[in-house]
Amino acid sequence: MIEDDVYRTSSQYRLWSYTNASLQSLRATTNDVASQRVRAAIQRVGEAHLSATPSTSGTPQPGSDGETRKPDDKKIECLTPEEELVLVTYYCEKTLELGDEYKPPLPTMVRATAIQYLRRFYLTNSPMTYHPKDIMACALFLATKTDNYYMSLRQFAAGVPGGPSEEKVIAPEFLIMQGLRFTFDVRHPFRGLEGGVMELSAIAQGEGQAAPHMPSETPQELQRALLAIAPHPTPSSSIADRIGRAHGATRELLKSAAQMTDVYFLYTPSQIWMAAFLLADRPLAEFYLDTKLGGPLTQTTESNQNNLQNPLYELRTKLLQVISDCAALLHAYTSLSSDPDQMKSLKRIAKKLYHCQNPEKVNLKRDLAQPPASATDSAAASETESERLAKKRKLEEQKRSTNDMFGPELVADRTKH
Amino acid sequence: MASNIGIDRRDEDEVCPVCKSSRYLNPNMRFLINPECYHKMCESCVDRIFSSGPSSCPVAGCRKTLRKNRFRAQTFEDIGVEREVDIRRRVMHILNRREEEFDGKRAYDDFLEQREEIIANLVSRSDVAKTEAQLQKYATENMASIRTNQKIEEQEATSFHARISLEQEEARMRRQLAREELENERREMHAGREDFLSRLAAGTSSDAASIARESHKVQLRKSSARHSEQDRLRQKQAALRGSELKRGTNLSSVENAGPSDTGLIKGLRKIKTPEPEKPYDPFMGYLPEKRDYVTLQQSYPSQYLDRLRKSTQAAAGGFDLREYYSRTLMEAFAGLGCFVEEEIAERDANRSASAANEGAAMAAVDL
Repeated sequence: MIEDDVYRTSSQYRLWSYTNASLQSLRATTNDVASQRVRAAIQRVGEAHLSATPSTSGTPQPGSDGETRKPDDKKIECLTPEEELVLVTYYCEKTLELGDEYKPPLPTMVRATAIQYLRRFYLTNSPMTYHPKDIMACALFLATKTDNYYMSLRQFAAGVPGGPSEEKVIAPEFLIMQGLRFTFDVRHPFRGLEGGVMELSAIAQGEGQAAPHMPSETPQELQRALLAIAPHPTPSSSIADRIGRAHGATRELLKSAAQMTDVYFLYTPSQIWMAAFLLADRPLAEFYLDTKLGGPLTQTTESNQNNLQNPLYELRTKLLQVISDCAALLHAYTSLSSDPDQMKSLKRIAKKLYHCQNPEKVNLKRDLAQPPASATDSAAASETESERLAKKRKLEEQKRSTNDMFGPELVADRTKH
Repeated sequence: MASNIGIDRRDEDEVCPVCKSSRYLNPNMRFLINPECYHKMCESCVDRIFSSGPSSCPVAGCRKTLRKNRFRAQTFEDIGVEREVDIRRRVMHILNRREEEFDGKRAYDDFLEQREEIIANLVSRSDVAKTEAQLQKYATENMASIRTNQKIEEQEATSFHARISLEQEEARMRRQLAREELENERREMHAGREDFLSRLAAGTSSDAASIARESHKVQLRKSSARHSEQDRLRQKQAALRGSELKRGTNLSSVENAGPSDTGLIKGLRKIKTPEPEKPYDPFMGYLPEKRDYVTLQQSYPSQYLDRLRKSTQAAAGGFDLREYYSRTLMEAFAGLGCFVEEEIAERDANRSASAANEGAAMAAVDL
C-alpha cells in the first residue's frame, strides 16, 4: 500500500515508534540512569557544602558532618518509571489547559504537538533531571513555531501562569530539541479523521467512489450499504447527522485520550483515528473499513474469490485486532484531574520529586550575556574591511593606469626615480 | 634448380622455369609468384598465359588455377618464408583480437598461442581443411569486430607514421635553427669587433680600457638574451609536441563494442552495453495521484469546504481544494497497514543482532 510506504518514511515511524516492551524498557533505563545521576549530584552538592562550611568556620569537623550526610544520601528515594509517567501525563493535561489561556485559544494541533514533544522528551529524559513544569511551557512554545502558529515570545510568556520571564520560558528550548532528536514532525490523526468523515459523507450522499481494491462497488450500492448498517444506541435523524456526531465524539477522544496515552508510540495515526472512530460509532467505522478492505468472508465469496481476496483479508483481520487493542487503550484512559485518588497520589509524587530533583540542573536559564569579544571582533572586522577596500582601490587605480592608452602616469614614474 | 635459385636470385643465368629464357638474354626480366602455389615464372610468361583469364599453372604436376591479378614480386628469397609470411598475414588479419578485449593477460596469451597453432597448422599443412573451416566460420561470425579492429590498427599505424614524420620534421627544424644561430652569432661578433675597433680608433687612448670593457659587456648581454629566447622557443615546441602526442593517444584509444564470446576464442571480456537510461521519476515509482485505499474524487460534499470552493479570494491565491482532499485522505490511511508492534520489534531485533556482532557494549545499550 502506497500510503503505508509513505508513512514508513516519516520520522515518527523511524524514530518514535516502539513496541510495548521496548517502550517500557526504555523508560526503565532512563529512570535508572537518571536516578544514579541524581544520587551522584546530590552527593556532590553535599560534599561541596561540606568543604565550604569548614573553610569559613576554620574548624574542620569531618566526623560529625560526614556522618550526618551519609544516611541522608541513603534516604534519597527516586521516582519509579510509573510515577514519572503519571507526572508527565499530568503535565500533558496541563499543556492542554495552558492552551486555553490564550486569546484565541491555541489550536488543537499545536497543543497536541506540544504534548507529543513532552512525551517524546521524557522518553529519554527524566522528570527528576528536568522538571516538566519548565519543559512544558517551552514545548508548547516550540510547537507554536513548528506548527506555523506564530506567536511572539513576550505574548506567549505573558500567558503562562506564574508569569515566568521570557528567558526562563525559552531556556530549555535547545535541550528539548535535542531530546526530540531534532525531529519536529508529529503525524496527528486529526486531519486523517477529516478525510475519513469527508469520504463517508460523500458515500452518504451517493457520490462515493469505490476503493481501488474493490472496483466492483458502485456509489449507489455503497450508499445503500451505509444506510443499512446497524443503528447507533442513540438514535439520529439522518445518516449525515450520525456521521457528524461520530465525528465530534472521535475528535474529543483524539484530543484527550489519544494525547494522554502511549498510542502515538505504539500505533500509526490512521490506526489511532480508526480506533477512536470505532469507540465513537462501531458499526460506522466497521462499514468504512469494509469499503476499503472488503467485508468478512462469507461462504460463497470464500469459495470463488479466495486467491484474489486473501492478502486484503489477512490485512483486515490483523488490522481489526490492532485497532481494537488501540481502542481498548484509548477507552481505558481517565483524566487524572477528575479522579481524586489519582490527584492524591500525584501530590505524593510531586513531594517526592521535590526531594529527588537533580540539584545541578535546576537553573536552566541560559547565560544570555554575550561574550565581550564580540565588540572587538566587530572592530577587527571593520578594520579588515577598510584594509580590503584600500587594497581594492589601489588595484583599480593600477588597472586604470595600465589600460590608459597613453601609458601610466608620468608623475608616479618621476617620483620613483 | 631450386638450390641454384636459392644461392643467388640476381644470378646472371637465372632461368625462367616455364619459358627457359635466361636473364643473360633479357636483363630486365622480373620473376613473379602466385600465392596459390608459389611457383616462380617470368613476367612475360605471366602476361602470355594469364592475360586471357584464369588458367592452370604451367609447372608440371601443379594443377592450381591461377589468376593474373594475384601475381606479385617475391619479397623473400626463400619461398617457404614467403609462404609463411603470407599465411601469417592472412590469419592475423582475421584473428585480430586486441589485448584490451580479453579478461586478463592469461586469456590473451592463450589466444596468441592458439593463433600460432593455427598458423603452424597451415604452414606445415596439417589439418588444413579443418583449420580453414574454423577460420572461415570465425570470420563470418565476427565480421563487425574484425572490421573495427582493422580500423583501429590502421588508425594506430597512421598516427604512428604521423608522429614519426613530425619528429623528423622537428629534428630538421632544430638543426636548421642551430645553424642559423651559429651564423648569427658569428656575424654579430664580427660587427661588435668592428664597432669596437672603430671606436678605439676614434677615441682617445685613456678611453681604451673602458670601451673594451663596455663592448665585452654588450656581447655578453646579447648572447644571454639570445639564450633566453631560445629557451622560450624550445619550451613552446615541447608543449606543442605534448599536445600532439595526447591527441595521438586519444585517437588510438577508441573503444568499440563487438560480440562477446565466440566459439573459437575463449576468455573474451564480456561487453556490457549500458542500459538505456530510464526517464527521470521524481517520485521513485509513486504516482502523485495514485492511492491504494481511496479513489480521489474531484469534489466531496462539505458545507464549509463548499464555501471555500466558491470563494474567489481563495482561488486567487492559488488554493486548490484538491490538494486538501489528497492530503487529508493520504493522512487518513497513511500507515493503516503498518503494524508497529511487529515491524519495530523486527527492526529492533535486527539492529541488536548487528550490534551484537559489533560489540557487546552496543547490544547492552540496545536492550
